[in-house]
Amino acid sequence: MLETHTFDVEAVYKVLASAFEVCAGKPRVVRRTVLDTFDRRLERSGQRLQLVAEAGADRLELVQDGETPVTALAGARTRWPAMADSLPDGALKDRVARACGIRALLIIDQCRRLVRRAELRNADGKIVARLDVDEPADGTAAPVIAVRPLRGYRKAADRARQLVSTVLEPAADEPTAPDATGASVVDPESPARLLLATELADFLQEVRVNLPGTIGDIDTEFLHDIRVAVRRTRSLLKLGRPALPPHLRETWEPRFKWLGDLTTPVRDLDVYQLGLPEMTGWLLAASAADLEPFQAYLAERRAVERRTLLRALRGARLRRLLDDWAGELSALADSARSADGAAWSAGALARANVTRAHRRVVRGGTAISDSSPPEALHLLRKRCKELRYALEMFAPVLEGAQVAKAIKDLKMLQDVLGRFQDSEVQRTTLRGFAHEMAADRAPAEALLAMGELMGHLHAEQRRARAEFATVFASYIRPRSSRRMAGLLGSNGEAAG
Amino acid sequence: MKVYATYNIKGGVGKTTTAVNLAYLAAASGRRTLLWDLDPQAAATFLFRVKPRVKGGSRGLVSGKRPVDDAVKATDFDDLDLLPADFSYRNMDLELDDMKKRTARLDQLLSAVDQDYDVVFLDCPPSVSLVSENVLRAADVLLVPLIPATLSLRTYAQLTAFVADTPKPRPQLMAFFSMADRRKRLHCEVIDTVSRDDVRVADTVIPSLALIEQMTERRAPVPAFAPRSRAARYYEQLWAEVRDGS
Repeated sequence: MLETHTFDVEAVYKVLASAFEVCAGKPRVVRRTVLDTFDRRLERSGQRLQLVAEAGADRLELVQDGETPVTALAGARTRWPAMADSLPDGALKDRVARACGIRALLIIDQCRRLVRRAELRNADGKIVARLDVDEPADGTAAPVIAVRPLRGYRKAADRARQLVSTVLEPAADEPTAPDATGASVVDPESPARLLLATELADFLQEVRVNLPGTIGDIDTEFLHDIRVAVRRTRSLLKLGRPALPPHLRETWEPRFKWLGDLTTPVRDLDVYQLGLPEMTGWLLAASAADLEPFQAYLAERRAVERRTLLRALRGARLRRLLDDWAGELSALADSARSADGAAWSAGALARANVTRAHRRVVRGGTAISDSSPPEALHLLRKRCKELRYALEMFAPVLEGAQVAKAIKDLKMLQDVLGRFQDSEVQRTTLRGFAHEMAADRAPAEALLAMGELMGHLHAEQRRARAEFATVFASYIRPRSSRRMAGLLGSNGEAAG
Repeated sequence: MKVYATYNIKGGVGKTTTAVNLAYLAAASGRRTLLWDLDPQAAATFLFRVKPRVKGGSRGLVSGKRPVDDAVKATDFDDLDLLPADFSYRNMDLELDDMKKRTARLDQLLSAVDQDYDVVFLDCPPSVSLVSENVLRAADVLLVPLIPATLSLRTYAQLTAFVADTPKPRPQLMAFFSMADRRKRLHCEVIDTVSRDDVRVADTVIPSLALIEQMTERRAPVPAFAPRSRAARYYEQLWAEVRDGS
């Protein structure tokens, strides 16, 4: 466990000496490189991965509070960013890969530290815990003290921590941790434009921070996050139409549609490449090797599409779009106080949007029968997405717990509609790929294997279709409707 | 995960010192290593300053009530863990006899830590028993220390026959001379004349050295407390042969 405190090292050793034989080593300079994904998946799972360079040797160290660190020799020098796959085989790699998923590891922080290490031994002279006092080599920040447990000696480490805590004083200038919930509450009576401008500015920031990772092709999630931010921007422009100046619709909706469309081809291919290991598991008659030409085809197509995407991402059109949009949002926030801008309150806009979107979902779903065409389910999926976005984007002016429950209710319906529609789209795309591959004289085995994938997708779509009625009935059950009515308050009404 | 067992029917031939030193060297080269001290005399456990006690004892481990990884203790050295001995291991034969696959139980227990370790050393008690049969089943390589004497070679022949009689999969056998004293004519003759055609005998000969005996006083592997010594060099050579030849 790492803690930042002011303390006297000698006093720490002295108090530990009451229970252990303390063997303090000489201070050593250690270079630490902290690695994590862009969205800090390791940190969020309570883990910290470091590349520790000490006395000419590099080792990787994965630390989780209260647990024995898992270590591995770093081996050949890795160029970061890199996927967890590039780590040496073993428990550390397995745990990091599990936490990071499809995201790459990046260098988050690098520092040189002066580490004073002490061994805490029991009466047999056995090391039962280690103590690291770790301070910046330039002495600019407070030192950090860590009791490192050893496997099988947890009690000793707990005892050491307890003793250390008796001589620690909280550092006076300890920084306050940022609000972990990230949820901010907005006055429902404040102008809607203010809320819209703030949220749109957040999405713009999301696009900007994910651009370098997308251009560098660090991992597929950078592009995905840009697409999510663009999709949310487009939805918010649509949901906010009543409160927004009319020119935003004419000017900006098409510009963001261009950006969204620009990213689609590469993302579609990413989805296939990421899903390929799972798809391989669907094969019954064909073998995994049969899909190799398909894999090669996807990689080739992606390389072509990526070149087009890169040109656009580095181009003047996108730069102008982002700069103009930032200026537009600034003007939008300024206009929020004007008579025109304050016509809609954030709460009123939220309720109007959620009510409308919910009503459309209920009506659309009720109209679907066993004989309805696939397009009807596709339309309902779009309506569900609108409701989901409305709930998420107006969450700051709605009651948080109720919003979470309403989203949970909706999610099951979205899942079944998603499976139905994705199967349809994937089959159509696969057919297109197969035609192109056939024209390029792809081996018959590859096309037959792709046929098996289509068969699996077809069965999956039928399963989703069969589940729809039950899931929709569950969505419109009285409890969900009451929940929605409660969320919208006295001014809103839930369809049912 | 590669499993090595130091084994001989005879006692006092250097099984424990070999297991401790080679396990230390494996860990020092970055391999996650576990040493299981199967000998109720607990010499390896003593050398690592760990208490010779396992909650639930032999019965708990063999029956699976006490998971193997729960009983593991870190040693003072990075990447080297110890599954300590317990005096109740003297009854391990009886416990194994009660199990369904009585000769495959240790192998099953080790499979639970397959992902945690790259190398496992089994330090075995000197006997021919059900524990030995389990060791033969679980080990990939049987390391057999031999004192260079006629009787030792005879014992080794018995051991080879014993291994040949066990059902497959059988471990690879690798003998090496241990506690050799070049001042003794007999030792030299045995080392020089042993036929390497029928049996695999390592080129490295571990001599009888005072420093190796000091392990019990220092309670640490030789390469840890005397890394530049001749004794440490011999063990490094032996580890290189074992590692590369198996």
